Amino acid sequence: MSDTAAAVVMRGVTKSFRADRGLWRRLRGTPGTEPRPVLDAVSLTVARGEIFGLVGANGAGKTTLLKILSTVLLPEQGSVMIDGLDAIAHAAQVRTRLAVVPADERALFWRVSATENVRLFASMYGLRGVARDDAVRRALVLVGLGEVGEQLVGSFSTGMRQRTLIARALVTRPPILILDEPTRSLDPVTARELRRFIRDVLCNELGATILLATHSTEEAMQLCDRAALLVRGRVVATDTLKNLQAAVARARVRVRVDAAHEARARTLLHLPVGVISAASDGMVTLDATLPNLVHAPVVLEALVRAGVRVVEFAPVALTLADLLESVSTSLAQPDEALRHA
Amino acid sequence: MHRLLAVARAYSLGMITYRTRTLVSLLSVLIAVVPVYFVAGALQPLAAKAIAAESTEYFTYLVVGSVASFVIAEAVSAIPSLISSYITSGTLEQLLTTPIRWPSLIGGLSVYGFLWVAVRALVLLVAAWVWATSTIAWPRMLEFTLIMAMLGVAYLGVGLIAGALVLSVRSSLFVPQAAATLSALLGTVYFPVGVLPPAFAPFAAFLPITPALRAARQILLRDQHLGVVLPDVLQLAGWAVAGAILGGSCFHLALQHARRTGTLTQY
Repeated sequence: MSDTAAAVVMRGVTKSFRADRGLWRRLRGTPGTEPRPVLDAVSLTVARGEIFGLVGANGAGKTTLLKILSTVLLPEQGSVMIDGLDAIAHAAQVRTRLAVVPADERALFWRVSATENVRLFASMYGLRGVARDDAVRRALVLVGLGEVGEQLVGSFSTGMRQRTLIARALVTRPPILILDEPTRSLDPVTARELRRFIRDVLCNELGATILLATHSTEEAMQLCDRAALLVRGRVVATDTLKNLQAAVARARVRVRVDAAHEARARTLLHLPVGVISAASDGMVTLDATLPNLVHAPVVLEALVRAGVRVVEFAPVALTLADLLESVSTSLAQPDEALRHA
Repeated sequence: MHRLLAVARAYSLGMITYRTRTLVSLLSVLIAVVPVYFVAGALQPLAAKAIAAESTEYFTYLVVGSVASFVIAEAVSAIPSLISSYITSGTLEQLLTTPIRWPSLIGGLSVYGFLWVAVRALVLLVAAWVWATSTIAWPRMLEFTLIMAMLGVAYLGVGLIAGALVLSVRSSLFVPQAAATLSALLGTVYFPVGVLPPAFAPFAAFLPITPALRAARQILLRDQHLGVVLPDVLQLAGWAVAGAILGGSCFHLALQHARRTGTLTQY
């Protein structure tokens, strides 16, 4: 993908923050106030119409990266191009092409209605009169708040406020949407609905390019076409989640076998005797780690050939902790295969 | 202007939902005027000579001074206070991700506060008009409003500097309080420059409130036209221009600084 065809291009972006130790300590230059690196030479490219995830633990630099993309934070080094425009030199123009859905719903005006909140943002983007009012109504209907638009945002549930934030961002149909942990404070059902909405409506119907920061691999897997894995401010891998899993994480499988065949199964799975297993109804469950998921059929075949009665053989879902742990291990032994960007 | 009005509308709609606070604020103006009336009456024989150039009655002299105090308090403290609260909630950062420019944003957020000051000032002036023995030149209200507006702009510069400090170091470093207190004590709110110790008089003359109040009192309490107080008005206009330029520059630089250091929002 060429840089000019991409929706977002970042090259070598570096940012550090000074630990806040108070004004007087800073003026006196007290030790401990040195800048702390938050992003280290981050480069990534996001195609138009793509849902791109920024995956990482708390403090990995996801939000900082999104703030730089949304022009409210300046990088120390590197370049940022949004929709073909330099985001540092032409910040004002870039702001007309993107909208941000923040993680914190306190950014809304709580003592006015959802309609007024969305209307304000529509006006900020230059919409006026009937065109603005229509756009506000459409945005609220789109997020399922058409009936309650006149109610105060302060009386809404967290999920409804999250939807108001999305409606506010959608009102001018910007080509690029930046979502910072959009399901962070939602219950599982509302979170699932919102993810469906992001995939089906925002991406497929409206064709928006979406950058989404999340610390949930489940969310990234459900939504993202590709993702960048951030560890301590560095992009350590960029690929589809499936490929990331295959490339950086050794696959875990759960195997349920006849208790009488446990010893044979352990030998074939290279599981020491001490590894915890769960037994019930004459069956035993073993969690094994394979070098890669592609080895799974071979291992299963070996178990069956050895006469082990296997009643369950399933991959264990990858958690962010697994992914990060694997990446950290891989970082200790650098492997170019990690870098797919 | 379109964006400024949009911000003003959203902010004002939120503020008018504080009905009890609004009512209490208005009542407090009416209640506060009662002791002022009696104390001013008691001090009238002492003050009459010193204030003669600006007013015949000490009560109305104090009322006009109080109106100027309302304007100054709003101008110096509203912006840093809003910036501080919007940094904490993330609202400031959110608003700045949109195409709005900061002067429109700050202007929009300031409209309601100044309109509310105008309402309180009007209530105070009407109360004074009912009680005072001297008259208030209501036909001169437009000229009086112009002077108060210029005073507001001059002190808005201090508010912008305080806002810039909040953006940079998360504290206004008591700049609003210092500006409001100094202006009240030295700026002829309660007494004319002539009664100050000679050492303080140059400081009093240096404050924007001094020419503003001198002109405002002559217009509203002495029924003089703008031409009579032109030197004071020009001096005040100079302060307004200087305040807008200095405050605006500081705020602009602080915003750039905050974009570099990440202090637009609370981490």
